Amino acid sequence: MPTKPARTINLYALTWRLPIIFWQFIFFVGPVLFMVAMSFFLVKNYRMTEAFEFVNWSKMLSRGYFWDSYWYTVFIASVATVCAMCIAFPAAFALAFRASESTRRWAIFLLIIPFFTSYLVRTFSWFVILSESGVINGLLGTIGLGPYTMLNTNFGTLVGYMTLTLPLVVILQTVTMANIDKTLIEAARNLGCKPLATIWQVIIPLSKTGLIIAAIFCFILSFGDFVAPFYLGGSQEPTLPILILDTTKSGQQWPRAAVVAIMMMGTLFAIAFAGIALAYRKRKGAK
Amino acid sequence: MSKPLVVFDKVQKHFGNFIAVKELDFEIREGEFLAIMGPSGCGKTTTLRMLAGLEAPSIGEIRLNGKVMNNVAPHERDTPLVWQSLALFPFLTARENVEFGLKMRGVDKAERKERALKWLEKMGILEFADRDISTLSGGQKQRVALARSLVMEPQILLLDEPLSALDAHLVIRMQAVLTDLQRELGITFVYVTHSQSEAFAMADRVVIMGEGRIAQIGSPKDIYREPANQFVAEFVGRNNILSGTVSSLTKSTAEITTPSGTFSVPMNEVALSEGQNASFVISADLVHISMDEPKGENTAHCKLISEEFVGSMVTLFLEDAQGHEFKVQMQERELSKFDLKGGDEIWLSWDTQSAHVLDEH
Repeated sequence: MPTKPARTINLYALTWRLPIIFWQFIFFVGPVLFMVAMSFFLVKNYRMTEAFEFVNWSKMLSRGYFWDSYWYTVFIASVATVCAMCIAFPAAFALAFRASESTRRWAIFLLIIPFFTSYLVRTFSWFVILSESGVINGLLGTIGLGPYTMLNTNFGTLVGYMTLTLPLVVILQTVTMANIDKTLIEAARNLGCKPLATIWQVIIPLSKTGLIIAAIFCFILSFGDFVAPFYLGGSQEPTLPILILDTTKSGQQWPRAAVVAIMMMGTLFAIAFAGIALAYRKRKGAK
Repeated sequence: MSKPLVVFDKVQKHFGNFIAVKELDFEIREGEFLAIMGPSGCGKTTTLRMLAGLEAPSIGEIRLNGKVMNNVAPHERDTPLVWQSLALFPFLTARENVEFGLKMRGVDKAERKERALKWLEKMGILEFADRDISTLSGGQKQRVALARSLVMEPQILLLDEPLSALDAHLVIRMQAVLTDLQRELGITFVYVTHSQSEAFAMADRVVIMGEGRIAQIGSPKDIYREPANQFVAEFVGRNNILSGTVSSLTKSTAEITTPSGTFSVPMNEVALSEGQNASFVISADLVHISMDEPKGENTAHCKLISEEFVGSMVTLFLEDAQGHEFKVQMQERELSKFDLKGGDEIWLSWDTQSAHVLDEH
């Protein structure tokens, strides 16, 4: 058996990696560790004091409203993910298989443009469209329908989530499907597969990894978003980000907000790991 | 002669301004092994794709069993294709790949499995049935691709340069597998290739295509010995082509005067008249060499430029005083009697009957 070469530290590589490692420590690992520590602090007379008590954890996790909010957030983010994946698919399919190479490039460029403008501004523009006296109800009114309440509902929240996630999901799906070997689709047709059936039989299995990654992104963005549920959903059923805001505002309960934040991060890590494992799962028989 | 299975009736294929297939008018017979051969871009793959329904003819008709196929969708045809890239589904096992077509045709699970396993066994890869495609070797993948098409029990199998990605020794093995299969099943194989050795080794008939047209259809021997025109003669290679004017005619032979001398050629179906331009070929393996000037007609005095060995065969590249290139092909053991080296002058000669007049049009 060949012996492994001794591990040596490559100083050159280390020098170049050091800044990014440093950056990650200061702005990611450090704050996260501090947040974990903070979740054990106590608040006395609206002032945070260092301590190591489990009271924040036991208080938060035993309250019904935390779990209501938790499952509601999981639910609405899941619905958003399913919606975004379904709405994006036809567009991405058309861009990947019907559009020319240059059309596809332009479309991806145009899909990046929404990220240039503030998400908050884009969210507020929905007021004009969705409100009781807005564009949609105005049009429906002319044929004697409505007005329908769309703001401050789950629907409003979902519209906000779509504003945030759809461009990214379309881009990820398009790039994934554009890279599929078209011969495989022709081969399926050649073997008797009907045109629409190729989506289930060939295209989705071939783009599985990319589609799962798009869904993970969509879930993460929706799960952690504060703007859509707060402004368009009216925070009637608070999602976890709104709960964090409320907790910090009411009595300076930063430690309890930290508990919520850690629960959110844990959930996202679990979802992301499960998704990646599914995306890269080796089939039986594979080496 | 067996009846035609496929008829290409004045078929053309245009892609925008580009005309991939200019005029195709030929038949594919039932149970034959037909090779379509030509240089890249000659339209051979487009022809195959039209037969599979992946492209529709712009003009003309393709008939299969007498039925016009122009508007029949690919999934409604029974024309499985073996792809150059094999196009095996990487997310399925070998057996699931073979079952794919049957599944699409609604064959039930138990029968699918049985038929797939039968074909995997026939191809000698049963032990890999439940393996992932990525873990198979090139030759094994090739067999999965063949099984996937043949499990459909088609009347006709289309093959698009399926052996081009394989190592040379595997190509020879797979050629034998293919010819045996074709004979055993008795179905029609249409085999597209740019490789003359593959086409000539396997096919009953060869279609030579050039620039979107058929240059010649015939048995490998016909095409090799009696190329119809200069394109075929050059494409087939190892031919000496001489051009000149017809200087005299008899009932059975013609004299053609070229810059390299006057040669006699046997008359064939090409009509010749005195004073007309004409070209003829002599296969490189029908040319004799000698150190002294041979008696009789059809001789050329040449200088040896270079030699090329392929196995026991040697090709000599020579040039006469006018700079015309000649090729001679012979067994190495024959050549060794001459003890030649580059720059040596030797004589070439051939029998009148070895020459073949080309159709200029």
